[in-house]
Amino acid sequence: MFWFERQVVAALLHSRDDLARSAVEAYVDGALAALPDHIRAGVAAESVLFGGWARLRGGPVDLERLDRSRIGPARQYARLLRSLVLFAEHELEPGAAG
Amino acid sequence: MTALDSDVLVIGSGAGGATTAAALAGAGRSVTVVEEGPWIDPEATEAFSLEEMVAKYRHRGGSAALGSPPVAYAEGRCVGGSTEINSGLWHRLPPELASEWKETYQIEEFGGDVLDRYSDQIEADLSVSRLPGAPPPSSAVLPQGAAELGWRSVEFPRVFRYDGEGRGTKQTMARTLLPRAVHDGAQLVADCQVVKLLRRHDRVVGARCRRRHVDGTVEHLTIGADHVFVCGGSIQTPALLQRSGFRTNIGNGLKLHPTIKIAARFPQPVDHADVPMHRITEFAPNLTIGGSAGRRGHVALALADSGSGHAEAMADWEHVGVYYAAIRSDASGRVIAVPGLRSPIVTYRLTDGDLSRLARGLILLGEALLAAGATHLYPSITGGAVVRRPDELVQWWDTVTRDRANLMTVHMTSTVRIGERRARTGADSFGRVWGTTNLRVNDAALVPDAPGVNPQATIMAIAARNCDHFLAG
Repeated sequence: MFWFERQVVAALLHSRDDLARSAVEAYVDGALAALPDHIRAGVAAESVLFGGWARLRGGPVDLERLDRSRIGPARQYARLLRSLVLFAEHELEPGAAG
Repeated sequence: MTALDSDVLVIGSGAGGATTAAALAGAGRSVTVVEEGPWIDPEATEAFSLEEMVAKYRHRGGSAALGSPPVAYAEGRCVGGSTEINSGLWHRLPPELASEWKETYQIEEFGGDVLDRYSDQIEADLSVSRLPGAPPPSSAVLPQGAAELGWRSVEFPRVFRYDGEGRGTKQTMARTLLPRAVHDGAQLVADCQVVKLLRRHDRVVGARCRRRHVDGTVEHLTIGADHVFVCGGSIQTPALLQRSGFRTNIGNGLKLHPTIKIAARFPQPVDHADVPMHRITEFAPNLTIGGSAGRRGHVALALADSGSGHAEAMADWEHVGVYYAAIRSDASGRVIAVPGLRSPIVTYRLTDGDLSRLARGLILLGEALLAAGATHLYPSITGGAVVRRPDELVQWWDTVTRDRANLMTVHMTSTVRIGERRARTGADSFGRVWGTTNLRVNDAALVPDAPGVNPQATIMAIAARNCDHFLAG
């Protein structure tokens, strides 16, 4: 994962438990690595771009800004990472099938 | 370089590949089946779980057709292909579509009566059946909502075998036709990716493959064959054909069922381990309403799409089910194998008409769920309003836009259409790729258009028909 991807994942995680956080981060890392080459390349390019902007701007990751962006790929970037984190957080808990 | 030889090489082990392997091995032919993915014990993972996605899905489920909006899709990548990960719902091809396709593409020996003959046999073989008892609550809400509105609904049969206590086991290809093919002498080679088909003039003489071993080493393998059946599914089949130099009408007619979802919250708990087996068929085949996988993770994803009230609803997740409206689409897409990229680029451009149909589908789905007693509806629309009453549904009309709709599909077809109209098809009426004498496609890619229903039954019936034609030839 790129630096900005780690920041986004950390910001999205709800759990305070280190083991649970690590498990979700590992899942997201694997899921991003498994993406089709061209989609991973696009996501990586956005990570570098948004990461550069975040470092210049300083402060915490502003996911809402990405969510509200007029640029489709920026919104999809936020949705992708949010989906991966949410799915893993809820599926890694016991009793996910009810 | 290791070399193998076979009379028939079958590439892919899903619904099309397994049907082909079982039919040809059963007829005494020497068959080798290669599957890119691994063998996974069908009992090893819970259905629709994270573990299943990691083990059995291509790209861990992270595939998408590029477009506006993009459409996420899923494919199996393991022995048994997508039959290992799908819901097992069984829909025969509507006869009116079979007739329409026969005429449009001039397909010989094709029609509802022909396919029904094969379906009868496959259904008996795979124990296609309905639930032995009452439906689970997540499924029962669909006929309940339909009945309130005076709409038709039906319980679809599934490829499930039930024991005396009503416990169902999905009859995937890894559990049924592949073991049968192996029993009849077929060789099954898992973890083996076909890189390219080997051509000599108008014949394909085999395939160049990479086989991964458990210790991480890669073996380069050449498999020679007198006949080759490509059965990798609607995305991988055209990609392999293009990589091997076959391009005329290959990969350019992709059809899929764009699907939009609602997370519906009920006063009572709903079940989450299975997929609802009822469908509202009032608007079929152009619009189908049904239920999706609804494990905790899926509920979280569906609720997050609308954004509002997500956390509060998630606290009550055991009362939330996930439902969908799927359309037959005007649009088509492309599969493009790009040199240097391991995965093909897939595109799909929805039409404005498709978006209108999805909006209509979303509202009709919402009506049915509210009629069934749902108290809150969360649409898969970014920022979509939560709806509590039928009169509020109208606000969704203008929200199913290219910017806000979150769509997915699990049904892809039509990238190597069959028929005698060479200008519009990639293969003849029985799947033989134009310009070749011994290369055939036998999977979802052949299905000439989106069937409006789960395509597994159609794929298997066409594949069995094509095998009979091959054996008679």
